[in-house]
Parts: sequence; C-alpha cells; structure tokens
Amino acid sequence: MNLALVGINHRTAPVEVRERMSIPESRLQEAVADLIHREGIKEGLILSTCNRVEVIANARDGVAPEPVIREFLADHHQCNLALYESHFYQHRQREAIEHLFRVASSLDSMIVGEPQILGQLKQAYTAAREAGALTGTLNEISLQALAVARKVRRNTAIGASAVSVSYAAVELARKIFGDLTGKTILVLGAGKMSEIAARNLIRSGAGTILVANRTYERAVELAQAFHGKAIRIEQMLDHVEKADIVICSTAAPHYVIHRHHAEQWLAARKNRPMFFVDISVPRNIDPAVNELDNAFVYDIDDLGQVVEANKKQREREAIWAEEIIQQEVQKAMKRLASREIVPTIVALEQRLETIRENELERFRGRLGDLTPQQRDAVDALTHGILNKILHGPITELKSGVGRPEQSSLVSLVRKMFGVAE
Amino acid sequence: MYSALLWLALILYFVGIVLTVPSLMKHRPSLPSASLAALGAGLVFHGSSLVARAINLHRLPVIDVQSALSFFAFLVTLAFFLAYLRYRINVLGIFMLPLVFVLTLFSALRPGPSFQSTAFRSGWLMIHISSIMLGYVGFFITFVAAVMFLIQESQLKSKNPQRTYYWLPSLELCDQLYFRSLKFGLPFLTVGILTGFVWAARTWHGPWELDPKILAALVTWLIYLFLFSARLSGTWPGRLSAYVAILGFAVLMVTFVGISFVSGWHGYLPRLGRAP
Repeated sequence: MNLALVGINHRTAPVEVRERMSIPESRLQEAVADLIHREGIKEGLILSTCNRVEVIANARDGVAPEPVIREFLADHHQCNLALYESHFYQHRQREAIEHLFRVASSLDSMIVGEPQILGQLKQAYTAAREAGALTGTLNEISLQALAVARKVRRNTAIGASAVSVSYAAVELARKIFGDLTGKTILVLGAGKMSEIAARNLIRSGAGTILVANRTYERAVELAQAFHGKAIRIEQMLDHVEKADIVICSTAAPHYVIHRHHAEQWLAARKNRPMFFVDISVPRNIDPAVNELDNAFVYDIDDLGQVVEANKKQREREAIWAEEIIQQEVQKAMKRLASREIVPTIVALEQRLETIRENELERFRGRLGDLTPQQRDAVDALTHGILNKILHGPITELKSGVGRPEQSSLVSLVRKMFGVAE
Repeated sequence: MYSALLWLALILYFVGIVLTVPSLMKHRPSLPSASLAALGAGLVFHGSSLVARAINLHRLPVIDVQSALSFFAFLVTLAFFLAYLRYRINVLGIFMLPLVFVLTLFSALRPGPSFQSTAFRSGWLMIHISSIMLGYVGFFITFVAAVMFLIQESQLKSKNPQRTYYWLPSLELCDQLYFRSLKFGLPFLTVGILTGFVWAARTWHGPWELDPKILAALVTWLIYLFLFSARLSGTWPGRLSAYVAILGFAVLMVTFVGISFVSGWHGYLPRLGRAP
C-alpha cells in the first residue's frame, strides 16, 4: 500500500478555488481513468462536492503519488497549480485513510453530521469502480469508509437533531407530542414559510391540516395542496382549540393571538399541550402565551436558538464519532499491514523448506540406511534449525506491522533470503 | 444463604449499572445487552434471595426496614424491566437503578434480626404488605415520570435546550408513564390499606386508628386519589400535578420508612413478634 490524498475543502479554500478545482459528476469516471493511467498509479478515487475536492491514489512501491496527483489536477483543469498551492493539503497512508473515514462520516463537513456526503461518496465510488480504478487495497478502504460512516450514524446521534429552522419546529413538536400521527395543525397565513413548515410536519405523520388566510381563495388553494380544510379568517378563533400545533405567519403588524385566547383554548382542551410556531415578523403571537402551562411558543429567533443548540449537540456527538473512527483506522491498518507480510512469510518458509529438502536429498547416500527413528531424528533436527533461523525475521516482520518502516523491512528480508518480490 | 444471594445480586446490579453509563453518555437508543443481562441476572438472584428467606421464615420476607427495602428494590427492578421493554426510555435507568442499588446495599449490609412471628403468617397481612409495596412501586414510577415531565417542560419553555432535552422522552410519553403508573399504583394501595384495616380490626386491641403510619398512609392515599381523579377527568398533568406527584412520593417515603421509627403499632421493631 502506497497511499496519498491531495485535497481542498471549505476550510482551506474559498469558493472560487473550490469551483475552479471541482470535477462535475458527469466527468468523474473519465477523470479517474486519466488519473490511474499515469505512471506508477495503480488505483484512484475522486470525491468532488461543492465543499471539497479530494483525490486519493494508490501507487506502486517507490513512486511518490502526490506529485502525480498534482500533475493530474493541473492537467485536468489546465491551470498552474502553484497558484493554489496554499489551499491544498495532503495526507499519506494512515492519515489519508483517517481523513477519508472522517469525511465519509461527515465529521469534516461544514455542518457536522449532514447526510449528503455519504451519497456523494457512494457516487464517487461507483464512478471509480466503473473506470476500473478500484481493484485492490483502495477499493477495500473505500468500502470500509462507507461502512464506518454507517456505523457512526448508527451508533451516535450525530445526525439526529435538526439544523434547519423548519425541521427544528418538527423536532420540537415531537418532543412535546411524541408521535405526530393524528395531530391537528392550523396554518395561519398561507405564506411560503408556513407552507414549508406544514409540509415538514405532514411528512412526519401529522394528521389534519386546517388553513386560514386573509384571502379565502389562497387558503383553499393551500388546503387543497395538503388535503386539508380551509377556514374563513373570521371563524379562525373558533377552530384554534382543535389544533395541537399552530403555525402562524400572517402579515398582520400586531399580535393576532393573545394570552386570554390561549387560556380559553387550553381550558377547552383540558390542558392538553399546544405548540405555537410564530414565524411572522413582526410577531403575531403574544410571547406571554408561553407563560401558560402546557403552551409552548417559539418565534423565529427561538427556533434559531434551538438550531444553534442542536449544532452544539452534534459537536458533542462528534467526540464519540471520532473515537469510533480512531478504532476503525487502527483496525484497517492492522488488517492491511498483516496482509502485506503474509506473502513474504509464506515465501520465506517455502524457500527454506526447499533448501532443506534438497540438502537432505543430497546427503541421503552418505547417511546410508537409517532406521525410522533415525530418519525422524534427522527431520526433527533440520526442521528445528529452520525454525530457529526463521523465528527472528518473522517476529521482526510481525512487530513491524503498521509501522512506517514496514515496507523497507519486508524488502530487506526478501533480499537477504533471496525471495523474489 | 439469602445473604449470599443478595450480595451476588448487588454485585450484578453494580455491573449492570456501570455498563449503562457509557451508553447513556453517548445517547445510544437502547441499553447495551450486557448491561441488561447483568441486571436481569441480578434480578433473578435477588428474587432467589427473597424466596430463600421466605422459605426460611415461612412467610413473606418483609419483617424489618432492611427486608422491606430489599423487597421494594426487587419490585422496582422488575418494574424497570417492564417499563424499559414497553417504553424504551433509556433514562429510566438513571432514575431507577441507583435507588435499587442503594436500597439493596442497605439491606445487604444489615440483614437485620430474624424473628419469628405467627402474626405475619396471616393471609390478610401478606396481601396487605405486598399490595402496599406494589402500590409504592407504581408511585415511584409516577414520581420519576413527574420529574422527567418537569425537566423536559422547563427545557421546552426555556427555548435553550441543554443535554437533558436530548436525553428525556417527549412530554406525551412522560404523561403516559405518569398516568399508567398512577392507574397501577392506586388500586394496590387501596387494597393494601383496606386489608390492613381488616387485619388490624381483628387482631389489634387499642387505638390503632390513630397510629401515625396509618394516618400518613391515608394522607398518601388522598394525594394520589386527587392526582388520579384530576388526570381521569382528562386534564393533562401540567406543572402543578407534577409537583403534587413529587410531594406525594415524599409523603410516601416518610410513611414507608420514616414513621416506622415512631409508630408503635407499625414499628419494624419486633413489638408484635416479641424479639428473640
């Protein structure tokens, strides 16, 4: 394994550089093919999204992959890469694997835990695979990266909490009502924002939708889109008590829902909770409603604050995710390294065994007739000598697993014992 | 014998609790199976210790504070398992298991005197004791649900969620747990108190009606009856009910443990059985 990764991301490069370096999905396969046909490169993988471009290559021993990758990028974009040098980072071997695992698990993303990156990596994998650029070690590492990402998602809550305002509202509704199935939503003011919020709630299973708007026609229109029911604005206050969730975004320059309204509704609802989402500016719901038991009022700033808290929560989860990644990198390195020494050990044993058999054959005549016991003794003696000789190099090879000097150690041992590569 | 089993249960509880910690810290959706296995094994040994003691004494193994708490702890663990399997609320462990451990430790450290009393073999008294215990377990869960409700409610009101917001279940689930445990606890407490009256009327001679423990039990019963009827009428718990549920549990604990030291008739001190 001779792995290197060269890349830029949203932290190291501004958007002008990222778009200059990006490789569109339609050209991905062709680009990977170009990469692996360069001198010394065995395998390649290119991940290009709006926030990053990562090029990974596995080269033959003795070839430094980084200059080849840079040359490839310069050729592909027909530019002088030296101009952008300060934006690039590069990683080798273990660090390259670790970086890929972190990227796949969305720990390196602008919004930690965002789920798109996994799909993007899958696309990159498919493109490289189809270009014939993943045939060995890098193929295995890429598959592992996808598996690690899934494991992180499964075992941490890194992607669990909403990082957009409209989803934050859905999530809050779930923290109040648990399951949203069968819950009634009243949409007050048929603007774009309330439409998005309502749509998210419906997707999460909410039941009946009521729509009230200043112009009745628009309410009917929106109600039809949701398979809901339109209400005339004059009758709106009579219907609110049925609603578990009220989404409010009217253009009214004053409060539409006051504390005394909410008091009545809650009493009529026998205190079952009500969740008010006020996305209108100026606000339409008196914040004093929030002081009532079982009434929860969130305005647009409150939702923003929840989103901020959710981001912090994701960062806390990222600590556990990093732990998983470290373990997985460790495991991957062990597996790769031990696989690299196995052929050497087998070849070494075979080489010495051949010598032993040839020498025994040569001395058969001189030894004369041996009793079975004597023959066994000779076998044991020669085997013993071989094992004693092999013990040192094999122990040394095994202890070198995962260390940087491993590959030079392997070739040294091969040379010393005359085992071909 | 029962003491050894109890210690074994205690060790397993400890292992089980320790194993839950990382999964709770990491917000895992479910408790690790190793932890559940340890707790389950602890529960089995705990149950065996109670059975061993019951066989030894020829009656319900509830004779002093320690054994009462041990029995209670056993029932709480059992209830934890049932509630966890039904609701999958991880944090129930945080609230319920440490109590189990402390109570079991307390009863394991001081096994208490083992005296024989023919009175305790009465069927009425066995129903009295076990009903009341089951009622207490129900109300303990009511208490836990009320505490979770209050914390989650204040998180939602504050609009600035802290870690607990992510840990705790929805208000709806807290309410379900609250109401179901009330529905479970109240009939048992009622039966327990009634059988106690029947038994006392038959057995005790004297002004037992004014026994502090009986009075406290009646107060407890009234508090829970109030909460139950409030919730039955459909009104959601809200903060006030949650506070009353917490108060109710405080009164219950005083009834259960505290008053026994001042109550003549109900003292765990072996007045009835005449100490050996």
